[in-house]
Amino acid sequence: MQAYQDILAEILIDEQALQNRIKELAVEINRDYQGKDLLLICILRGGIVFLVDLMRHLTVPHQVDFMAVSSYGTGTRQSGGSVRLSLDLKTDIRGKEVLLVEDIVDSGNTIAYVLEFLQTRQPHSLKVCTLLDKPERRETPVPVDYRGFTIPNKFVFGYGLDLDEYYRNLPFIAVVDLKKYHPPSA
Amino acid sequence: MQNYREFIDEILVDEKSIEKRVSELGAKISHDYAGQELLVVCLLRGGMTFTADLTRFLTIPHTLDCMSLSSYGTGHYASSGNVRVNLDLMTNIEGINVLLVEDIVDSGRTLAHVLQMLKTREPKSLKVCVLLDKKYRREVPVEVDYIGFDVPDRYVFGYGIDIDEYYRHLRFIASADLKKYKKTP
Repeated sequence: MQAYQDILAEILIDEQALQNRIKELAVEINRDYQGKDLLLICILRGGIVFLVDLMRHLTVPHQVDFMAVSSYGTGTRQSGGSVRLSLDLKTDIRGKEVLLVEDIVDSGNTIAYVLEFLQTRQPHSLKVCTLLDKPERRETPVPVDYRGFTIPNKFVFGYGLDLDEYYRNLPFIAVVDLKKYHPPSA
Repeated sequence: MQNYREFIDEILVDEKSIEKRVSELGAKISHDYAGQELLVVCLLRGGMTFTADLTRFLTIPHTLDCMSLSSYGTGHYASSGNVRVNLDLMTNIEGINVLLVEDIVDSGRTLAHVLQMLKTREPKSLKVCVLLDKKYRREVPVEVDYIGFDVPDRYVFGYGIDIDEYYRHLRFIASADLKKYKKTP
Protein backbone atom coordinates (compact mmCIF):
# COMPACT_ATOMS: atom_id res chain seq x y z
CA MET A 1 0.00 0.00 0.00
CA GLN A 2 1.28 3.48 -0.84
CA ALA A 3 1.59 5.98 1.98
CA TYR A 4 -1.29 8.42 1.73
CA GLN A 5 1.17 11.28 1.47
CA ASP A 6 2.32 9.87 -1.88
CA ILE A 7 -1.14 9.96 -3.43
CA LEU A 8 -2.55 13.02 -1.76
CA ALA A 9 -3.71 15.86 -3.98
CA GLU A 10 -5.08 17.93 -1.11
CA ILE A 11 -6.70 17.67 2.26
CA LEU A 12 -10.26 18.74 1.59
CA ILE A 13 -11.53 18.79 5.18
CA ASP A 14 -9.14 18.60 8.09
CA GLU A 15 -9.71 16.81 11.37
CA GLN A 16 -10.69 19.91 13.34
CA ALA A 17 -13.21 21.04 10.73
CA LEU A 18 -14.72 17.55 10.60
CA GLN A 19 -15.09 17.26 14.35
CA ASN A 20 -16.53 20.78 14.67
CA ARG A 21 -19.10 20.14 11.98
CA ILE A 22 -20.09 16.77 13.44
CA LYS A 23 -20.74 18.46 16.75
CA GLU A 24 -22.91 21.05 15.02
CA LEU A 25 -24.90 18.34 13.26
CA ALA A 26 -25.46 16.59 16.59
CA VAL A 27 -26.74 19.84 18.10
CA GLU A 28 -29.24 20.14 15.23
CA ILE A 29 -30.34 16.54 15.62
CA ASN A 30 -30.68 16.88 19.40
CA ARG A 31 -32.86 19.94 18.89
CA ASP A 32 -35.03 18.42 16.15
CA TYR A 33 -35.68 15.17 18.01
CA GLN A 34 -36.07 16.63 21.47
CA GLY A 35 -38.41 14.51 23.58
CA LYS A 36 -38.29 11.70 21.04
CA ASP A 37 -36.49 8.44 20.68
CA LEU A 38 -34.32 7.92 17.64
CA LEU A 39 -33.03 4.97 15.65
CA LEU A 40 -29.78 5.58 13.79
CA ILE A 41 -29.19 3.35 10.81
CA CYS A 42 -25.74 3.02 9.39
CA ILE A 43 -25.06 1.50 6.02
CA LEU A 44 -21.85 -0.48 6.25
CA ARG A 45 -18.98 0.06 6.02
CA GLY A 46 -18.10 3.63 5.15
CA GLY A 47 -20.42 5.26 7.65
CA ILE A 48 -19.11 3.65 10.84
CA VAL A 49 -16.55 6.28 11.79
CA PHE A 50 -18.97 9.14 11.22
CA LEU A 51 -21.70 7.30 13.13
CA VAL A 52 -19.48 6.64 16.14
CA ASP A 53 -18.30 10.25 16.35
CA LEU A 54 -21.78 11.66 15.76
CA MET A 55 -23.35 9.45 18.44
CA ARG A 56 -20.96 10.67 21.08
CA HIS A 57 -22.51 14.12 20.79
CA LEU A 58 -26.12 13.00 20.86
CA THR A 59 -28.15 13.72 23.95
CA VAL A 60 -31.46 12.36 22.62
CA PRO A 61 -32.11 8.71 23.47
CA HIS A 62 -31.07 6.62 20.50
CA GLN A 63 -30.46 3.10 19.32
CA VAL A 64 -28.17 1.97 16.52
CA ASP A 65 -28.69 -0.56 13.80
CA PHE A 66 -26.80 -1.59 10.70
CA MET A 67 -27.57 -2.51 7.13
CA ALA A 68 -25.28 -3.91 4.52
CA VAL A 69 -26.13 -3.57 0.87
CA SER A 70 -24.37 -4.49 -2.28
CA SER A 71 -25.22 -3.75 -5.84
CA TYR A 72 -25.83 -6.50 -8.33
CA GLY A 73 -23.41 -4.75 -10.65
CA THR A 74 -19.63 -5.00 -10.42
CA GLY A 75 -17.00 -2.58 -9.16
CA THR A 76 -16.97 -0.77 -5.85
CA ARG A 77 -17.78 2.70 -7.09
CA GLN A 78 -20.63 1.74 -9.35
CA SER A 79 -24.01 2.10 -7.82
CA GLY A 80 -26.44 1.69 -10.65
CA GLY A 81 -29.21 -0.85 -10.84
CA SER A 82 -30.80 -2.89 -8.11
CA VAL A 83 -29.53 -3.18 -4.59
CA ARG A 84 -29.08 -6.42 -2.75
CA LEU A 85 -29.65 -6.40 0.99
CA SER A 86 -26.96 -8.52 2.64
CA LEU A 87 -27.73 -7.50 6.22
CA ASP A 88 -31.18 -6.38 7.22
CA LEU A 89 -32.08 -4.42 10.34
CA LYS A 90 -32.59 -6.17 13.64
CA THR A 91 -35.05 -3.50 14.63
CA ASP A 92 -38.62 -3.26 13.40
CA ILE A 93 -38.84 0.39 12.37
CA ARG A 94 -42.63 0.66 12.20
CA GLY A 95 -43.68 3.84 14.01
CA LYS A 96 -40.09 4.81 14.81
CA GLU A 97 -38.08 7.96 14.17
CA VAL A 98 -35.38 6.78 11.81
CA LEU A 99 -32.26 8.62 10.77
CA LEU A 100 -30.09 7.11 8.08
CA VAL A 101 -26.44 7.99 8.66
CA GLU A 102 -24.24 7.94 5.58
CA ASP A 103 -20.66 8.85 4.81
CA ILE A 104 -21.40 10.23 1.35
CA VAL A 105 -24.28 10.78 -1.04
CA ASP A 106 -22.94 10.45 -4.53
CA SER A 107 -25.18 9.20 -7.35
CA GLY A 108 -27.89 8.75 -4.74
CA ASN A 109 -28.99 5.50 -6.37
CA THR A 110 -28.28 3.19 -3.45
CA ILE A 111 -29.61 5.48 -0.77
CA ALA A 112 -32.75 6.29 -2.77
CA TYR A 113 -33.42 2.59 -3.06
CA VAL A 114 -32.79 2.00 0.65
CA LEU A 115 -35.11 4.88 1.58
CA GLU A 116 -37.86 3.55 -0.63
CA PHE A 117 -37.42 0.12 0.84
CA LEU A 118 -37.44 1.37 4.45
CA GLN A 119 -40.50 3.50 3.79
CA THR A 120 -42.51 0.37 3.05
CA ARG A 121 -42.06 -0.57 6.71
CA GLN A 122 -43.84 2.60 7.77
CA PRO A 123 -41.49 4.36 10.15
CA HIS A 124 -42.94 7.44 11.86
CA SER A 125 -40.26 9.53 10.20
CA LEU A 126 -37.31 8.80 7.95
CA LYS A 127 -34.53 11.30 7.48
CA VAL A 128 -31.04 11.34 6.02
CA CYS A 129 -27.85 12.59 7.58
CA THR A 130 -24.78 12.52 5.39
CA LEU A 131 -21.31 13.72 6.17
CA LEU A 132 -20.51 14.51 2.54
CA ASP A 133 -22.75 15.50 -0.31
CA LYS A 134 -21.51 15.43 -3.89
CA PRO A 135 -24.47 16.98 -5.71
CA GLU A 136 -22.73 17.11 -9.10
CA ARG A 137 -22.83 13.33 -9.25
CA ARG A 138 -26.49 12.96 -8.44
CA GLU A 139 -28.51 10.65 -10.69
CA THR A 140 -31.43 9.99 -8.35
CA PRO A 141 -32.79 12.76 -6.12
CA VAL A 142 -32.27 12.18 -2.39
CA PRO A 143 -33.75 14.38 0.32
CA VAL A 144 -30.78 15.23 2.56
CA ASP A 145 -31.89 16.55 5.95
CA TYR A 146 -28.52 16.94 7.64
CA ARG A 147 -25.43 17.63 5.58
CA GLY A 148 -21.91 17.90 6.89
CA PHE A 149 -20.21 19.31 3.81
CA THR A 150 -21.02 19.84 0.17
CA ILE A 151 -17.99 18.77 -1.80
CA PRO A 152 -16.92 19.08 -5.45
CA ASN A 153 -16.82 16.13 -7.80
CA LYS A 154 -13.42 14.84 -6.74
CA PHE A 155 -12.25 11.39 -5.72
CA VAL A 156 -12.14 11.54 -1.92
CA PHE A 157 -10.89 9.18 0.77
CA GLY A 158 -10.31 9.03 4.51
CA TYR A 159 -12.55 9.21 7.57
CA GLY A 160 -14.38 5.97 6.74
CA LEU A 161 -14.10 6.34 2.97
CA ASP A 162 -11.76 3.89 1.34
CA LEU A 163 -9.57 3.67 -1.70
CA ASP A 164 -9.70 0.01 -2.65
CA GLU A 165 -10.51 -0.77 1.00
CA TYR A 166 -7.54 1.10 2.46
CA TYR A 167 -7.13 4.48 4.16
CA ARG A 168 -10.46 4.44 6.01
CA ASN A 169 -8.71 5.28 9.28
CA LEU A 170 -7.39 8.70 8.27
CA PRO A 171 -8.84 11.42 10.49
CA PHE A 172 -9.45 13.82 7.58
CA ILE A 173 -11.07 13.82 4.14
CA ALA A 174 -8.57 14.00 1.32
CA VAL A 175 -8.56 14.12 -2.46
CA VAL A 176 -6.53 11.50 -4.26
CA ASP A 177 -4.14 12.34 -7.05
CA LEU A 178 -5.14 9.61 -9.48
CA LYS A 179 -2.00 10.08 -11.57
CA LYS A 180 0.11 9.01 -8.58
CA TYR A 181 -2.17 6.34 -7.20
CA HIS A 182 -1.59 2.68 -8.08
CA PRO A 183 -4.37 0.35 -6.98
CA PRO A 184 -3.03 -2.62 -5.01
CA SER A 185 -2.64 -5.74 -7.12
CA ALA A 186 -5.06 -8.46 -6.07
CA MET B 1 -35.14 6.27 28.28
CA GLN B 2 -33.96 6.43 31.85
CA ASN B 3 -31.06 8.78 32.57
CA TYR B 4 -28.00 6.63 33.17
CA ARG B 5 -27.17 8.67 36.27
CA GLU B 6 -30.15 7.06 37.98
CA PHE B 7 -28.79 3.54 37.74
CA ILE B 8 -25.04 3.90 37.34
CA ASP B 9 -23.09 1.98 39.91
CA GLU B 10 -19.67 3.36 39.08
CA ILE B 11 -17.49 4.44 36.19
CA LEU B 12 -15.12 1.54 35.64
CA VAL B 13 -13.02 3.14 32.90
CA ASP B 14 -13.17 6.84 32.19
CA GLU B 15 -12.80 8.56 28.82
CA LYS B 16 -9.15 9.53 29.26
CA SER B 17 -8.13 6.01 30.28
CA ILE B 18 -9.95 4.48 27.32
CA GLU B 19 -8.31 6.85 24.88
CA LYS B 20 -4.86 6.22 26.33
CA ARG B 21 -5.28 2.45 26.32
CA VAL B 22 -6.74 2.37 22.80
CA SER B 23 -3.77 4.35 21.52
CA GLU B 24 -1.40 1.95 23.28
CA LEU B 25 -3.13 -1.03 21.70
CA GLY B 26 -2.96 0.67 18.31
CA ALA B 27 0.77 1.18 18.74
CA LYS B 28 1.31 -2.40 19.91
CA ILE B 29 -0.64 -3.87 17.01
CA SER B 30 1.17 -1.62 14.53
CA HIS B 31 4.46 -2.81 15.99
CA ASP B 32 3.55 -6.50 15.94
CA TYR B 33 2.40 -6.42 12.33
CA ALA B 34 5.15 -4.11 11.10
CA GLY B 35 5.87 -4.74 7.43
CA GLN B 36 2.67 -6.74 7.04
CA GLU B 37 -0.92 -6.05 6.16
CA LEU B 38 -3.91 -6.66 8.32
CA LEU B 39 -7.62 -7.21 7.97
CA VAL B 40 -9.47 -5.73 10.93
CA VAL B 41 -12.77 -7.46 11.55
CA CYS B 42 -15.29 -5.54 13.58
CA LEU B 43 -17.86 -7.62 15.40
CA LEU B 44 -21.12 -5.72 15.28
CA ARG B 45 -22.65 -3.96 17.01
CA GLY B 46 -20.76 -3.63 20.27
CA GLY B 47 -17.33 -3.48 18.65
CA MET B 48 -18.02 -0.51 16.38
CA THR B 49 -16.82 2.29 18.66
CA PHE B 50 -13.69 0.45 19.71
CA THR B 51 -12.89 -0.46 16.09
CA ALA B 52 -13.42 3.08 14.81
CA ASP B 53 -11.12 4.50 17.48
CA LEU B 54 -8.53 1.72 17.40
CA THR B 55 -8.00 1.87 13.64
CA ARG B 56 -7.25 5.59 13.90
CA PHE B 57 -4.14 4.63 15.85
CA LEU B 58 -2.96 1.98 13.38
CA THR B 59 0.01 2.94 11.26
CA ILE B 60 0.16 -0.30 9.27
CA PRO B 61 -1.80 -0.82 6.04
CA HIS B 62 -5.12 -2.37 6.90
CA THR B 63 -8.56 -3.01 5.52
CA LEU B 64 -11.81 -3.28 7.42
CA ASP B 65 -14.59 -5.80 7.37
CA CYS B 66 -17.58 -6.48 9.62
CA MET B 67 -19.38 -9.51 10.90
CA SER B 68 -22.71 -9.71 12.62
CA LEU B 69 -23.35 -12.72 14.80
CA SER B 70 -26.10 -13.85 17.06
CA SER B 71 -26.51 -16.86 19.25
CA TYR B 72 -29.33 -19.27 18.67
CA GLY B 73 -30.27 -18.88 22.33
CA THR B 74 -32.28 -15.99 23.72
CA GLY B 75 -31.55 -13.18 26.12
CA HIS B 76 -28.57 -11.00 26.83
CA TYR B 77 -26.33 -13.53 28.49
CA ALA B 78 -27.40 -16.73 26.81
CA SER B 79 -24.46 -17.54 24.62
CA SER B 80 -24.32 -21.26 25.17
CA GLY B 81 -25.48 -22.48 21.78
CA ASN B 82 -24.10 -22.25 18.33
CA VAL B 83 -23.42 -19.01 16.57
CA ARG B 84 -25.52 -17.74 13.72
CA VAL B 85 -23.79 -15.56 11.14
CA ASN B 86 -26.10 -12.73 10.11
CA LEU B 87 -23.48 -10.96 8.08
CA ASP B 88 -20.42 -12.78 6.84
CA LEU B 89 -17.14 -11.21 5.76
CA MET B 90 -16.91 -9.69 2.31
CA THR B 91 -13.21 -10.49 2.29
CA ASN B 92 -11.74 -13.88 1.53
CA ILE B 93 -9.35 -14.32 4.46
CA GLU B 94 -7.31 -17.19 3.08
CA GLY B 95 -3.63 -16.40 3.54
CA ILE B 96 -4.06 -13.02 5.21
CA ASN B 97 -3.56 -11.64 8.72
CA VAL B 98 -6.86 -11.25 10.52
CA LEU B 99 -7.52 -9.37 13.73
CA LEU B 100 -10.92 -9.79 15.32
CA VAL B 101 -12.01 -6.74 17.29
CA GLU B 102 -14.62 -7.23 19.97
CA ASP B 103 -15.98 -5.04 22.74
CA ILE B 104 -16.05 -7.65 25.46
CA VAL B 105 -15.22 -11.28 26.03
CA ASP B 106 -17.36 -12.95 28.62
CA SER B 107 -18.05 -16.70 28.57
CA GLY B 108 -15.88 -16.89 25.47
CA ARG B 109 -18.35 -19.18 23.73
CA THR B 110 -19.24 -16.88 20.85
CA LEU B 111 -15.64 -15.93 20.28
CA ALA B 112 -14.45 -19.54 20.39
CA HIS B 113 -17.06 -20.48 17.79
CA VAL B 114 -16.15 -17.65 15.45
CA LEU B 115 -12.46 -18.37 15.73
CA GLN B 116 -13.03 -22.01 14.93
CA MET B 117 -15.18 -21.09 11.97
CA LEU B 118 -12.72 -18.54 10.60
CA LYS B 119 -9.79 -20.92 10.99
CA THR B 120 -11.39 -23.29 8.50
CA ARG B 121 -10.79 -20.56 5.92
CA GLU B 122 -7.06 -20.77 6.56
CA PRO B 123 -5.99 -17.23 7.27
CA LYS B 124 -2.27 -16.60 7.59
CA SER B 125 -2.84 -15.56 11.19
CA LEU B 126 -5.87 -15.00 13.37
CA LYS B 127 -5.71 -12.89 16.50
CA VAL B 128 -8.17 -11.32 18.87
CA CYS B 129 -8.30 -7.84 20.35
CA VAL B 130 -10.90 -7.11 23.01
CA LEU B 131 -11.47 -3.92 24.89
CA LEU B 132 -12.82 -5.59 28.00
CA ASP B 133 -12.06 -8.98 29.41
CA LYS B 134 -14.39 -10.47 32.00
CA LYS B 135 -12.10 -13.32 32.96
CA TYR B 136 -14.26 -14.55 35.82
CA ARG B 137 -17.06 -15.39 33.42
CA ARG B 138 -14.99 -17.57 31.14
CA GLU B 139 -16.47 -20.97 30.38
CA VAL B 140 -14.47 -21.82 27.29
CA PRO B 141 -10.76 -21.10 26.96
CA VAL B 142 -10.08 -18.43 24.35
CA GLU B 143 -6.71 -16.97 23.59
CA VAL B 144 -7.02 -13.21 23.60
CA ASP B 145 -3.97 -11.49 22.14
CA TYR B 146 -4.72 -7.87 22.98
CA ILE B 147 -6.73 -6.81 26.00
CA GLY B 148 -7.77 -3.28 26.86
CA PHE B 149 -8.90 -3.75 30.44
CA ASP B 150 -9.77 -6.55 32.79
CA VAL B 151 -13.18 -5.87 34.26
CA PRO B 152 -14.98 -7.49 37.18
CA ASP B 153 -18.11 -9.56 36.71
CA ARG B 154 -20.55 -6.64 36.57
CA TYR B 155 -23.15 -5.51 34.10
CA VAL B 156 -21.23 -2.98 32.01
CA PHE B 157 -22.36 -0.37 29.49
CA GLY B 158 -21.08 2.55 27.45
CA TYR B 159 -18.44 2.99 24.72
CA GLY B 160 -20.32 0.81 22.25
CA ILE B 161 -21.84 -1.53 24.82
CA ASP B 162 -25.58 -1.26 25.27
CA ILE B 163 -28.22 -1.95 27.82
CA ASP B 164 -31.32 -2.93 25.86
CA GLU B 165 -29.84 -1.13 22.84
CA TYR B 166 -29.33 2.24 24.54
CA TYR B 167 -26.33 4.01 26.09
CA ARG B 168 -23.81 2.89 23.45
CA HIS B 169 -22.79 6.52 22.86
CA LEU B 170 -21.37 7.14 26.35
CA ARG B 171 -17.66 7.96 26.34
CA PHE B 172 -16.84 5.84 29.38
CA ILE B 173 -17.48 2.33 30.60
CA ALA B 174 -19.68 2.04 33.63
CA SER B 175 -21.34 -0.67 35.66
CA ALA B 176 -25.09 -0.65 36.15
CA ASP B 177 -27.05 -1.20 39.30
CA LEU B 178 -29.78 -3.36 37.81
CA LYS B 179 -32.06 -2.88 40.82
CA LYS B 180 -32.31 0.79 39.87
CA TYR B 181 -32.47 0.25 36.12
CA LYS B 182 -35.81 0.51 34.35
CA LYS B 183 -36.14 -0.78 30.83
CA THR B 184 -37.36 1.71 28.21
CA PRO B 185 -40.87 0.67 27.20
